[in-house]
Amino acid sequence: MTTVLEVRDLRVVFGGVTAVDGVSFSVDDGQLLGLIGPNGAGKTTVMRSITGIVRPTSGNILLDGQRVTGLPIHRRMRRGLALSQQLVRPFREMSVIENVAFAAGYRKTGNPLKSLVTFDWTQERARATELLAMVEISSYADADTGSVPLGVLKRLEVARALALDPKVLLLDEPLAGLNSNEAVTLGDTIKRLNGDGLTVVLIEHNLGEVMRICPRLVVLDNGRKIGDGPAQEVMADPDVRAAYLGTGAGGSHAAA
Amino acid sequence: MTELALLVQGLLDGSIYALIAVGLTLVYGLLRILHVAHAALFTLGGYVGVVVTNETGSFILALVAAMIVAGIAGMIIYRLVYQPILHLPPYVALIASIGLFIAMQEGFRFYDEQGVSYVNPPVQGTLELAGQTLQLAKIVTFFVAIILIGGLGLLAAKTRTGVAWRATVTMPAMAESFGINIIQVRYINFFIGSALAAVAGVMVSLTTNLVEPTSGDVWSYKALAIIVLGGLGSMRGTLIACFALGVLEAFATTTCVPLGNIQICLGEIMNRDAIAFAFLVIVLMIRPQGLFVRA
Amino acid sequence: MEDLLNAYDMSLIRTAAVMVIMALSLNLITGFCGQISLGHAAFMGVGAYTSVVLSINGVDFILGTLAGMALAGILGILVGLTSLRVRHDFLAITTMGIVFLFSGIVEQSSFLGDTDGLSGYPHPAYGDFAYMVMTILLAIAVMLLSIYIRRSWMGATFKSIGDDEDTARILGIDVSLYKLAAFVMGTSLAGLAGSLYAHQTTIIQAENFGFIESITVLSMVVFGGVGSIAGVTVAAIVLTLLPLWSQFIGDYKLLFYGGLLFLMMRFAPYGLAGIVVRLQRLVFRRTGDTG
Ligand SMILES: Nc1ncnc2c1ncn2[C@@H]1O[C@H](COP(=O)(O)OP(=O)(O)O)[C@@H](O)[C@H]1O
Ligand SMILES: [Mg+2]
Repeated sequence: MTTVLEVRDLRVVFGGVTAVDGVSFSVDDGQLLGLIGPNGAGKTTVMRSITGIVRPTSGNILLDGQRVTGLPIHRRMRRGLALSQQLVRPFREMSVIENVAFAAGYRKTGNPLKSLVTFDWTQERARATELLAMVEISSYADADTGSVPLGVLKRLEVARALALDPKVLLLDEPLAGLNSNEAVTLGDTIKRLNGDGLTVVLIEHNLGEVMRICPRLVVLDNGRKIGDGPAQEVMADPDVRAAYLGTGAGGSHAAA
Repeated sequence: MTELALLVQGLLDGSIYALIAVGLTLVYGLLRILHVAHAALFTLGGYVGVVVTNETGSFILALVAAMIVAGIAGMIIYRLVYQPILHLPPYVALIASIGLFIAMQEGFRFYDEQGVSYVNPPVQGTLELAGQTLQLAKIVTFFVAIILIGGLGLLAAKTRTGVAWRATVTMPAMAESFGINIIQVRYINFFIGSALAAVAGVMVSLTTNLVEPTSGDVWSYKALAIIVLGGLGSMRGTLIACFALGVLEAFATTTCVPLGNIQICLGEIMNRDAIAFAFLVIVLMIRPQGLFVRA
Repeated sequence: MEDLLNAYDMSLIRTAAVMVIMALSLNLITGFCGQISLGHAAFMGVGAYTSVVLSINGVDFILGTLAGMALAGILGILVGLTSLRVRHDFLAITTMGIVFLFSGIVEQSSFLGDTDGLSGYPHPAYGDFAYMVMTILLAIAVMLLSIYIRRSWMGATFKSIGDDEDTARILGIDVSLYKLAAFVMGTSLAGLAGSLYAHQTTIIQAENFGFIESITVLSMVVFGGVGSIAGVTVAAIVLTLLPLWSQFIGDYKLLFYGGLLFLMMRFAPYGLAGIVVRLQRLVFRRTGDTG
């Protein structure tokens, strides 16, 4: 197995708050990694450091064995990352399908000169249609992003990330705001994509879905890594139980 | 001209920038609006100062009247202009502010095209310092500015209300959750900021003995540059930037540096206002977050 | 045709055409890409002064215009580079500073005529009518260029940046490069407008390209509806001609522009285009076309 993504001794300090405190882990090609932990544990910050939205105080991010810590966000994305954000950020001036099609046009937008002489949207629209069907929001394709429910926007985020044809897909709480049926379906979709070879890092509070689809877990608490390994083993670890389950988000409870 | 004299000159000008910039920073801190129309309140203050002095013969009365009129005008601007558009993208308020500024300026032109002057100009006279002649009015301005801004700073630091006020300006959302009436604080900010701008307008009118519709323009444009230099929203940064710019202008317009066998005089390449903005652009190139804000 | 228009009419039309170019060029930066500029007239000034200085030195009008565009574009890149580094709010003030830098330097430079400006420079030998036709054609060309850009993938990318540049970055967009592209195109077209303007008048002075002029252009973009090509074109023509036609508006031009900017932002922040869209929605709702 080759390592595609590595987080090395990552530390992020905001003002006086240490959000991430020396976290390291690596993700192998084709893995589906669940990144869990209580609210405020630093999960989102780790993911934002991987993409470059947050500048780490120290530590490194490696993609395919190469350091990308100093690279701007767009360069990292073009090396095969894609992010579905916890807080949805659709382009408000584009419809649902246009949001996805625009992302799918990444080959056309790589360079301003090329983008200036390119007009065709057929392939991108076709790809966007496919992706909307995959996350089951086809019926909203032409809707205004201002007028659709949160559950649709969350899946739009996922579809838009997938449109970049990533090697590593980063998902920050994609199931939040979905009802339980929708969550299971999207969970299945993620699992299937992973089965087709896509590497996925999944932050999720819905522990039931996490345990169902993630073979491996990394657990953060208070900015530190307190668990890393096969899902069942990690969840059996007393430290993890104490720190994570002790906060009230009990496994059985969340799985319900 | 000696260095000392230039330094004093610069600090005196800096105090005028400070009177204007405090209001801009108060508004920016609370509403994230670049309050361009602030310039018109400077001019309004100048008009009230001259007219009331001429009518009543009392300069002090005129100064107070100018502060009250401009302060109330500032609150009205908040209520009628900014409050209804706060939820829109920030450029909306900025452009509205520019529009209001230009319209108010033209409104002054309706009132008086040529400008107004004191019949008996108060606080005239000059002082000699190190061979440099300084206008008494500028020195008075400096002390008025120090007293007003210093007093405000003391109030903000020492009194309960002051502390709440400061907290609101720096962290509006947080303050609101502590039950502070944020709308009231906004009105207070506009009143205080506008009153200080009016003081600047009146004091400048003493040195020029003329108030015209465009009197406030250049001062206020530069005050906008200053609050950006100061890091936007940081009162300490703003005040330092005010005096730094005043001193820089004093030196840059008169000092030449030898480069090989030619003399480079900044003052001959660009005028005073351009120097201020060149400074702004250069600083932002080096420190995009402003001079006095930690990255 | 030539006899139908007197010299005054032609000068009106030329002025309007130049302002259409100016407004559309700012629309590329502010409307398409979401970057506020309060100093657009400075780039027009760079184009005007470059072209005039060159024509005084015997350089051909077309070459001089191209040089003016190039210089304005280079300055635009410099301003664009600043815009990449500073927070959104800062950009407005930085671009405002450009105006003061421009006039501050021009008015101290004897070869640019100090505060007196430059006059008595040679004009291209096309004649008034041909010159007017040329300006109109160029204005149309800039309109077509705007439409072209809007329809291209670059237009979509600009839209995404104007909407939410952080998200654009996450989708792999090199936001900085695109912003620079917008600045270069917008400012060099302002340089074109500057050269055209300079050669249809007899004197240029720094104050022709100051803060108020920049705001006038911005008010055209805002009035037309930020980003809307048709709206901005109409607004540029109307706002140029109104003060010339109506004595009252002419006398209180600034009051009118200022009041307009203020009232538009206060009551119709999406401009003429926004009003049209709202009317359309109203009509469609009446006819039951939308749910
Ligand atoms: N931009 C920021 N500025 C300041 N503090 C932040 C910022 N982002 C996150 N934090 C803080 O960092 C900690 C970790 O947050 P986050 O990574 O969002 O946690 P999680 O995603 O695990 O819930 C929290 O205490 C949060 O308040
Ligand atoms: Mg989170």
